[in-house]
Amino acid sequence: MRAPTRKAAARGLAFSASPVLAVQLPVWRSRFALFLLFAAFAAIAVRAFWLQAVSTKFLQKKGEVNYAHNEELPAVRGKIIDRNGEVMASSLPAKAIAVTTGEFKPSDEQLRRLAQLMDMSTQDVKKKLESGRNFVYLRRQVDEKVAEQIVALDIPGIQTRNEYKRFYPVGHVAAHVLGFTNVEDQGQEGIERAEQKSLGGVTGSRRVIKDRLGRIVEDVGYIREPKDGRDLTLSIDGKIQYIAFTELQKAVEQNHAKAGGIVVLDVKTGEVLAMANMPTYNPNVRQGLTGAQLRNRAMTDIYEPGSTMKPFTVALALEKGMVTPNTMLDTPGKLTIGPATIGDSHPHAGSLSVTQIIQQSSNVGTVRMALRCEPREMWDMFTSVGFGQVPRTGFPGEVAGRLRPYKSWRPIEQATMSYGLGISASLIQVAHAYMIFARNGEMIPLSFQKITQPPLTQRVISPRTAQQMREMMEKVVGPGGTGPLAQVRGYRVAGKTGTAHKLEGGRYVNKYVASFVGFAPVSNPRIIIAVMLDEPSAGKHFGGQVAAPVFSNVAANALRAMNVAPDASVDNVIIPPQMVTESM
Amino acid sequence: MSNRSMITVIALLLLCSLMLVNSQFQARRLLIEHERTQSRLKELETEWDQLQYEQSTLAKHSRIDGIARTSLSMSPPGPGRTQYMTAGSK
Repeated sequence: MRAPTRKAAARGLAFSASPVLAVQLPVWRSRFALFLLFAAFAAIAVRAFWLQAVSTKFLQKKGEVNYAHNEELPAVRGKIIDRNGEVMASSLPAKAIAVTTGEFKPSDEQLRRLAQLMDMSTQDVKKKLESGRNFVYLRRQVDEKVAEQIVALDIPGIQTRNEYKRFYPVGHVAAHVLGFTNVEDQGQEGIERAEQKSLGGVTGSRRVIKDRLGRIVEDVGYIREPKDGRDLTLSIDGKIQYIAFTELQKAVEQNHAKAGGIVVLDVKTGEVLAMANMPTYNPNVRQGLTGAQLRNRAMTDIYEPGSTMKPFTVALALEKGMVTPNTMLDTPGKLTIGPATIGDSHPHAGSLSVTQIIQQSSNVGTVRMALRCEPREMWDMFTSVGFGQVPRTGFPGEVAGRLRPYKSWRPIEQATMSYGLGISASLIQVAHAYMIFARNGEMIPLSFQKITQPPLTQRVISPRTAQQMREMMEKVVGPGGTGPLAQVRGYRVAGKTGTAHKLEGGRYVNKYVASFVGFAPVSNPRIIIAVMLDEPSAGKHFGGQVAAPVFSNVAANALRAMNVAPDASVDNVIIPPQMVTESM
Repeated sequence: MSNRSMITVIALLLLCSLMLVNSQFQARRLLIEHERTQSRLKELETEWDQLQYEQSTLAKHSRIDGIARTSLSMSPPGPGRTQYMTAGSK
């Protein structure tokens, strides 16, 4: 078929001959249009290049924000458990209640309910809101069930945040050992603080891609890996801790003492089995605590140990071969050294054997031995059993006590130090020092954590001297000694009483620190118990009267709890009608 | 290259791409499941902590001691009333 020539049918005119086409336009116009088109394309190309090549990073980031999220990975603080696996401190989930102040518009009724659930007054809530900040915590560490009820009130602007709260199931009983944490779950006192590094978890975060429904579809990777805190097994035995605490509490109340402390050590391992102080506090409820309640006296307070120091002086004299337990020494009622006079509180019959000096706690007898020793030797002895040395348990606030350098000792100072005046130590130091008697002359380091390896030992005195000292100290609790109330039915025990005047403003006043340090069973010592009562004021103030019974009760129950076989018959206890009073 | 081998390669390519889609899908599904299990694990760990805490609270010595003394009117046996046994003895 032939294609028909196109014509303007009406006029019979060919298209190419149309007069419209014949109009002559200037050439620049078409050029200009072409140029505009070209320029527009060029602009698009430049823009495309800009987006694709130059600002890619920025744009990709923008896009990622829409689908990728940083997710926080919470870490839990480690638990603290006792040596038998019982939980002593545990972090459980709780909620923080917060508000965005701008959106927070509760009705009066809602506000009243909210305050009530948070255990606050409406005034308190209002005060918090007036801080002027946009985001305010109303209350932290709220129980999850309570938080649910708060959410159910449906008040606009209320938010909850996940956090943890630390709980201490045994409460008062082990408050000073464990310490506590703050609202951020950071250790503030005690073991919680000492072991913050290993107990504390590290919050992590990771990058994830979420789909439309908020489900995670891809795990891009960790930004920081979360690390849960490590659980910590203490050397503390929950049962012995409870026994020690209740007996101490009873004694403090009965004797109207201002304060008190008790320490129980494991002789075989150096582990601290129990440590308690009075007054104490409940670590779960920490409002209105006083410094006196918070003080871990057994670790951080120093006192003059008094007669509980005498065994170290006597051990030195025995070790040097100066005396034997049966050597008789002249013990006049008074002894004058320079301007000062040292006396015994009750007259002795002219002379006493070394054993009797310990048994009846004679100051004069002890001083006679001390003055035959070099200051340096005494200082070495005291230092090697830990006096004047920080115990290095890592516990916050542990103190070294006071033991002045021997070069500056005057004879009277050397004399008084031999029976525990002019020297000061913490209760745990005194308990620790008694290791040399309980352990055949060796010192071992203390530990607040359960240990599995045998401890490093360091010999201070010979096994023979330690043996002789044990025999002498067993006489202390016998009839004719200063501490018969320390006896335990079924077990042989040994120890030393201590009673010291308190120093106030540089002078000794008629206030006392009564103490007893001992160990049991004597045939194969397993525990050392040190008891200290500060200002007993119910009529009795001697260590043998107020501290020795605590020792006796704790030893009896602790030895049974530890399944230690008795080493004496059950009718071994003889309480004399008249007790020997101790010299101060 | 012959048409025949071309077709084979294209078919393989298609198969691979389908498998890729499938494995991506599987990966996401497994990941979601993994996430769910992880959060369940966390939940159970928390519950375990809670239970351990409750056990310690209920079994604490002061509570046992109190109940034994007051509501059960028990008293600790003295050494005189205790029979000690050592391994090997009759």
